[in-house]
Amino acid sequence: MKTRPMLTLEDCKKISAAAETEARNNSWNVCIAILDDGGHLLYLSRMDGATPANARIAIEKGRTAAETRRSTANWQERIKTRPELIRMPGVTPVQGGLPIVVDGACVGAVGISGVQSHEDEQIAAAGIKALD
Amino acid sequence: MSSIRALLAICSAVVAFGASAQQPQQPNPMDVVPDKMPNDIPYGTPISLAQAQAAISAAVAESNKRGWKLNVAVVDSGAHLVAFARMDGAQLGSIAISEHKARASAKFRRETKAFEAGIQAGNNYLLTLDDVIGSRGGILLMDSGRIVGAIGCSGGTGSQDEVVCRAGADAVKR
Repeated sequence: MKTRPMLTLEDCKKISAAAETEARNNSWNVCIAILDDGGHLLYLSRMDGATPANARIAIEKGRTAAETRRSTANWQERIKTRPELIRMPGVTPVQGGLPIVVDGACVGAVGISGVQSHEDEQIAAAGIKALD
Repeated sequence: MSSIRALLAICSAVVAFGASAQQPQQPNPMDVVPDKMPNDIPYGTPISLAQAQAAISAAVAESNKRGWKLNVAVVDSGAHLVAFARMDGAQLGSIAISEHKARASAKFRRETKAFEAGIQAGNNYLLTLDDVIGSRGGILLMDSGRIVGAIGCSGGTGSQDEVVCRAGADAVKR
């Protein structure tokens, strides 16, 4: 039988805490969403000052990255040359969503919303790094 | 023409008589007009992430203690999601339900148990109200008499959800 790694609640807490620290160090208020490889929500933290919209967007960025196994920045890039991709169902093609890859397999994703898109991705990366 | 009209008059009289004979006049409880608003609790400032996380931690601790695996969601006073945690092994269907319970509690300023009880008592109209969920496990989070948010738990029986929910709510300042 094939087995695969799964994110635990403890992993999620680690990722979220590291992401929050990265945001706080830059005086950013964001929402952090962590999803499993099926695109289902595992953990969410909306920092004080982040909006309800940030929560929704963070989840959707994360879902996109989890289900398609690629960063939302990659989708954003590809849409520049292939605008028809914007019609892909369930895809939010805005930077700030990163898949979490463990032993070559996608185990989930982190989605961030609240500041500029490249800054959102910086926070997501800092969160994922906490798993190392 | 007149005979038809006469027949109709007789029919309606029979129907009216039949109805009144079968059902003695019972007051409809829905007709009662209370003097005061029910659940007139003011909305306060949105709950902070720190408080929301404290509520979730307490709920997860209670659930762990009992060996249960639940989803826990906290919304703010605007019924918008602030924090969420899925315990290891908790069922997927309860992700949305836990948020729904928290949201409905905040939106209607009461525990979701009230809907469950109302529906159980036969008040089926409750099921037609927008965004209601008829299951216990959604509780208000209060601070100084104001609503700062709500917590919702799902994954076990309603009664299990509620016990965990209460532990979470108790962790927030009343």
